[in-house]
This record gives sequence, C-alpha cells and structure tokens, in this order.
Amino acid sequence: MVRTKATSAYLFGISIWILSFLFALKVGIVKDANLELITAVRLPRAILASALGVGLAVSGAALQALFSNPLCEPYTLGISSGSALGAVLGASLGLQWNLAGLTGTSFLGAILFAAILYGVSLRRGSGNGTLLLTGVMLGFFGNSLVATWIALSDSNGLQGALVWLFGDLSRARLKSSILTFVGVWVFVFFIWTHRRALDALLLGEEGASSLGVDVAYIRQRIVLLTSLLIGVCVSAGGIIGFVGLVVPHFCRRFVGPLHGVLIPLCAIWGAVLLTLADLMSRILIQPYELPVGVVTALMGAPIFLWLILRRGEIS
Amino acid sequence: MKNRPLFGVYGMSYRLNRGFQGVGRKLILDSISFEIARGEVIALLGPNGSGKSTLMKLGAGVLPFRSLSCTGQVRYLGQDFLSVSAEYRARNVVYVASDVRSEFLLTAQEVVFLGRTSARRGWMQGTSQSDAEAVRRAMDRCSCWDLRDRNLSYLSGGERQLVALACALAQGAKVLFLDEIMSQMDIHHQATIGRLLKDLAKEGFAILLVSHDLNLASEWADSIIFLKEGKKIFHGPVLMAFQQETMDLLYPHSNLKVGLNPLTGAPKVFFGQDT
Repeated sequence: MVRTKATSAYLFGISIWILSFLFALKVGIVKDANLELITAVRLPRAILASALGVGLAVSGAALQALFSNPLCEPYTLGISSGSALGAVLGASLGLQWNLAGLTGTSFLGAILFAAILYGVSLRRGSGNGTLLLTGVMLGFFGNSLVATWIALSDSNGLQGALVWLFGDLSRARLKSSILTFVGVWVFVFFIWTHRRALDALLLGEEGASSLGVDVAYIRQRIVLLTSLLIGVCVSAGGIIGFVGLVVPHFCRRFVGPLHGVLIPLCAIWGAVLLTLADLMSRILIQPYELPVGVVTALMGAPIFLWLILRRGEIS
Repeated sequence: MKNRPLFGVYGMSYRLNRGFQGVGRKLILDSISFEIARGEVIALLGPNGSGKSTLMKLGAGVLPFRSLSCTGQVRYLGQDFLSVSAEYRARNVVYVASDVRSEFLLTAQEVVFLGRTSARRGWMQGTSQSDAEAVRRAMDRCSCWDLRDRNLSYLSGGERQLVALACALAQGAKVLFLDEIMSQMDIHHQATIGRLLKDLAKEGFAILLVSHDLNLASEWADSIIFLKEGKKIFHGPVLMAFQQETMDLLYPHSNLKVGLNPLTGAPKVFFGQDT
C-alpha cells in the first residue's frame, strides 16, 4: 500500500513540477515574451528555483533525521548566517566576484561556518546535542555580526544585501543555474546513499547505534554533505526559509519517514514549492517583485498550520 | 568440555571525568569481568545507579568505548570486539533499551525492519525477501505481529517493548543484552517473553538481562551477577545468589526476606514485616 501511495505521490509531484515549470516560463510581467527573454531570464530562474527547492528540502529532511528533531531545518545549523555574513560584507566592500553563479563571499562564509561545525562533529565524545547547540550559536553569532555591519554602514550598497537576506533569484544565469541544479542533485544522491543510517537514526542516537550504525561517522558525513549543500543553495539564492522545514513534513504524510522513498519525494516537492513560490513572487504585485523567501513563508505557514490543526500533530 | 564463552568482558573500568578539580569524578565501573556462553541466561542485578546499563551499553558497543575513558577488554568468540565495524557488532551483539521511541510516525513493522539495517546487502539494494521473512518470524515469536500496522507512538509501553525485542531478534545477533525489557509488560506478556528467553537460550543464544524485579529474574535466569556501586559483588547460580546477607548488603534498610517459590523452587524476595 505504501508503495502505490509513494508511486502516486512521485507521479503527481513530477507532473505538478513540469506544469509549474512551464507556467514559470510562460507567465511574467512582459506579456507575449519572445524566446530570447524566456531563455535568458525565465528559464534560468525556474531552473535555479527548482535546484534550491531540491537542496533545501532534502537537507531539511536529513537534518531532521540526524537530530531526531522534526523542528530542524537547513538554517538551524547556522550555515545561512555565515553565508549572509559573507554576502553583506562582500556587498559593502564592493567585492562582486562570482563562483559559477554563487555569490563568492557568501559561499566563503558558508564554507567557514561549515568547517567549524565539521570540526565540532569530529571532536571525540561530542554528541548530536553539542552539534545542534553549536549550530544555533553560530547562527546567533553570524546574525548579530550581520546586524552590526548593517547598523554601521550607510544605506548605499546595502539594498542588494538586504534583498538577498530574504531570498533573491533574479540574478540567475542559464549556465550557472544548470550547474547548480546538477550539483545539488549530486549532493542529494550522496545523502540518499546514507538512507539506511538515517532511517535507523529515527530511533535516536542510541537506537541507531545498537542497530549497527556508526553514529559518529554518519554525523560527520551528514554534516559535511548538508552544510555544503546549504552553502551552495544560500549563496546562489539568498536565505529562503520554510521549504526545508515544511516539505519533509508534507512528504512524510504520504510515504512515511523512511528515507529511501522520502528523500527523492522531498526533492520533487521542494522543487515544486519553490518554483511556484518564485512564480508568485514575480506576478503577485506587478510590476514589483516580492522576495521569494517572503512568499514561501506567506504561502507555506497557513497551509502548514492547517495541516497540523486538521490532524492534530506534525510529521 | 566446558562451553567456550561466546562473549566476555575483562577488567572493564569506566571513570566519569567530569566535574571540577576531581570533585564529581566517579568510578562508574570498577574492573568488571564476566563471560557468557551459548545457552546461558545471566541476570545482572543491583540497585539504581550501580552501573548495570552502562556496563551493557559499553559491552554492546552502543556507547563509544574508545572515546570515553574506559579501560579493559571486550571479546566476542575470543576476538577483540572493540575494533570491529558497527555492522559486524550489531549482527552479533545487540542491546535492547527499556523503551523504544521515535519523534516520527513509524509503524511497528517498520521498526522491526530497522533491525535489518546491519544485514549484508548491496548499497543499491532495498529490503529483500529474506529480510521480510526474518521480520515476520521475529514478530511472531514476540507475539506482536498483530501490532504490525499500528504506529509505535500509539502502542502501550509493554507493546513497545515487544516490538523492541522483535527488532533485536530480526537483527540476527546471538548475544542479547536486554535492559529492563519486561518492566512495562503485563503478567501474560512477562510469562510469554520469559518462556521465549528460555527457548532462545536452548537455541544457542546468550542472554544478559537487567531487571529491577528480582523475582522475575530468579525465575528466568540461570545465574546472577550482582553489581553495587560499579563493583561486581557476586556471580553465581541463582540459588546461591539469593542469600539473606547479599540482600542486606545490596538493599540495606529495606527489610527484604528470601524465600522459595513453592511451585518452582526458585528463590524469591519478599518484603519483611515491619517491626
């Protein structure tokens, strides 16, 4: 029964994805757009939105399992703050270098924070709780530095950084979007190879350990993979909240919490959610654009609340 | 010839290195040694905080022996058990905690399937027919097959313990470390699982069980290890274990009296009359 449910969830998700992708190409501020506009502006954006949706949803699912905590999301570990710090510093210092479509300074910030987390995960005898707290503290620290920097700077040049803090897909270019898309799937694949260990972690650290999982090793691998993945996502499109928290919960309702099935489904529905959200962000208040992170939260929060209140529990 | 020990712990000590300037440092385990052979059921008994669970978790490798300042040896079939892979460890020795819980909604059958995590298979391969058979057999033996589609979170404590034991059996390990796994079962399930443990022992399993219910332990175990404050103070057959002096030493001021079960002859502990 689970199998037929999973198959229909996959097929349904893929069809919605294709539909929303086509819509994203067709609909926009300019009516009757020509082919050039579509390939230069809308196509890269739709690809990037799909890629980030995939990455954020899957890293959310993996972290929720690793920490046995359904409230974890990609930004719980604080990688996004490192990334934001890099972006804001870069923007105000006028460093505009680009790393295959990623904001260079922002990616550096993410890598720095990821390295600190990885270092903590390598430390002997530090459990998941230590790691989670380190991530949360890194997040606070990074956010405070960002706030300090913004408070001390003049407004010129910060507009870009501020937009970026709420998610911004407008800088997508075709080549780099495709590269990000492929890269994200590579990470997703590597996370998926750890699916059995993630399943075992659903019974907690000690449970997983007695099931034959080397918890310390898996912790290091998942931290490394997810923090790089989150780093890529955040430096490509800014901080887009909500996808990583909600999509895994939504998908677990249909196929249960086992990751062999859950991870690909999260990838598909993450792409759907973010493609639709980006479409909304472009057309809701024409001719202006809403930050896509605002749209995901505005759309997602009521739906999520409705899901919880209807059945009375999460996941 | 005496049965060769299947599993052994030799001189295991564990000191908790936390606390300020040596205050709060505590010897949790003080050079504990024991061996367990195929077909043997040993009950590990002692007051709260005597180190029973810690000893089991360290022995089964659930707690990372190497990164906690432990000393001593753990051997399985005479070979060093501390340097083997996690999968090999789980295929041979399994620790069952007194409660199995998840933050996520797993059915009982899915939980027992998790017991097959360490089974040998290709990395692309999903669960196989043999996994399904192992799960079915384990759940049948623990009389929890009827619970298979129920969610773990909605089961009662005793039912969850049945599922946890089934999960361990599905894992295929021959050495079972059972930590208080009957504490929430009703008397019917306690009897069923007690008989199951005896059957398993006959099939060549080696079972170490922790229980606070001394009377249950004396019924199902062949021999007893008493721990107190991290020290092994007794290891021997059941009849010799339940002596008045031992009880007074282990549980002072509790006024416990030892008597025999009139039907089976197993020694039992009773509350004495208040004077």
